[in-house]
Amino acid sequence: MMTPEVFLLCVFAALLELDTTYAFQLTFSRGIIAAPLMSLVTGDVMAGIQIGVFTELIFADTNPLGGILPPSAVICSALSLALHALGIELYFAFFFGVAGAILFSFTEKFMRKNRFKWLIFCEQKITKKPAEINRTIVLALGSSFLMNFVFIFVLAWLCGKLMLWLLPYIPARAHFACKFAYMAVPWIGLATLVPAFRLKAR
Amino acid sequence: MNFSMRLNMFLRSFFLQTGWNYMKFQNIGLTFVMMPFLKRLYKDDQEALPSVLQRYLENFNTHPVMASFCFGALAKQEEAVAKAESLTKFKEKVTEWTSIKKSLSITTASIGDRLFWGTLKPLTLLMALFIWLMMGVNFFEIDLPANTPFLYAACAGGAAFFVFNAIALFVKWQGLKISYQSDDTTCFGLTRFDWNKTIYNAKRIGIVLAVGMILFGIYHYLKDFKDVDVHFITRSVIVLFFVMISFVTRKLRIPNMYLYLAAVFIFNIVCYL
Repeated sequence: MMTPEVFLLCVFAALLELDTTYAFQLTFSRGIIAAPLMSLVTGDVMAGIQIGVFTELIFADTNPLGGILPPSAVICSALSLALHALGIELYFAFFFGVAGAILFSFTEKFMRKNRFKWLIFCEQKITKKPAEINRTIVLALGSSFLMNFVFIFVLAWLCGKLMLWLLPYIPARAHFACKFAYMAVPWIGLATLVPAFRLKAR
Repeated sequence: MNFSMRLNMFLRSFFLQTGWNYMKFQNIGLTFVMMPFLKRLYKDDQEALPSVLQRYLENFNTHPVMASFCFGALAKQEEAVAKAESLTKFKEKVTEWTSIKKSLSITTASIGDRLFWGTLKPLTLLMALFIWLMMGVNFFEIDLPANTPFLYAACAGGAAFFVFNAIALFVKWQGLKISYQSDDTTCFGLTRFDWNKTIYNAKRIGIVLAVGMILFGIYHYLKDFKDVDVHFITRSVIVLFFVMISFVTRKLRIPNMYLYLAAVFIFNIVCYL
């Protein structure tokens, strides 16, 4: 079921997800950039643009302020595009994408809380031998990449399997309902952009 | 600080958030960025380095772009710490270093969050949306045209990417340079820029673009209808209903994603009634 292009998409998404927090922060991980880039792998550029815009708009009201961990636009786009590449309609795929992104933020929160135990050990090594800092950075990046990849791959596989099994039994009404909710996404997002620019005291 | 050292720290600053954790936040990243500078500063006093590193491995959290102001200021203060002639002077300088680290990280985080996440990110998103719609890429439609050239995707996304990063990288590079050359009288170079005015003006542009985008979007969404039929009314109701409800949920601090997930469930229930 997992085609080579979906596997490649998962690897690419895991790399792009590093840009969200751990490396660069050059906005490669934004929906409008990540999704069209990932759509090069699946071959459907227009789906990439739409998923990218919808992802960015739906998460426009959550920002990484302080310790807040917003849902990942990369995970949402990657899951949606992977499921779409497996033959699932975009309006179903996007639902799983959003749910997966929310789930990922909980997983990431758990990882960040528990990573500290390992980092204390690393800090002790760094103070003794300063060159250890490079190794710590490489290890932290490597482990984050691996976690991202496993998460995206497993979720894409599980959701894909579930949807392909469910698809023949899904009634036309459910298609209509999900399509209707999907059509509302840009309007939900655009409406929250207006108050996002509200002017406070100068 | 010479050019090669600044470039080294600038490149390393892209890994500031590697190892981010809820206890000490960006402490590993800060140590990684400052390491070449510290190694050079203490090259004749290798025994002092472990205690210096312990200071850098304490809590640190700020905005990843604006952090460069902290790097320059901390580097300058570290030189003062290294040059302290007596123990009293040394303790005084270390206390100053700690207060600079704490106060500057809070100030830069506040500016960075408002400027980059709160203003520039949605502004560049709107810019990309306008470019796509003007190029005829109607992403509002569910039935998508096949074989869209990648150039269409690259243009708008690339413009948003370029504008955001041109500003972010400029601030990052200049922040490192200015904060090292300035002192606490100018808040380590932060007062050289009128941040509030910049944010205020950007938000004014943003609000005009956001309202314009909604109107432009409505036009694109409904332009193909020649008669007021059931489909036209359905589409208009979707737009009006969700625009109104988004304002309400924003007031109630309910994130968009939960509104969408709720819409999926509610529409499914309604369809079966």
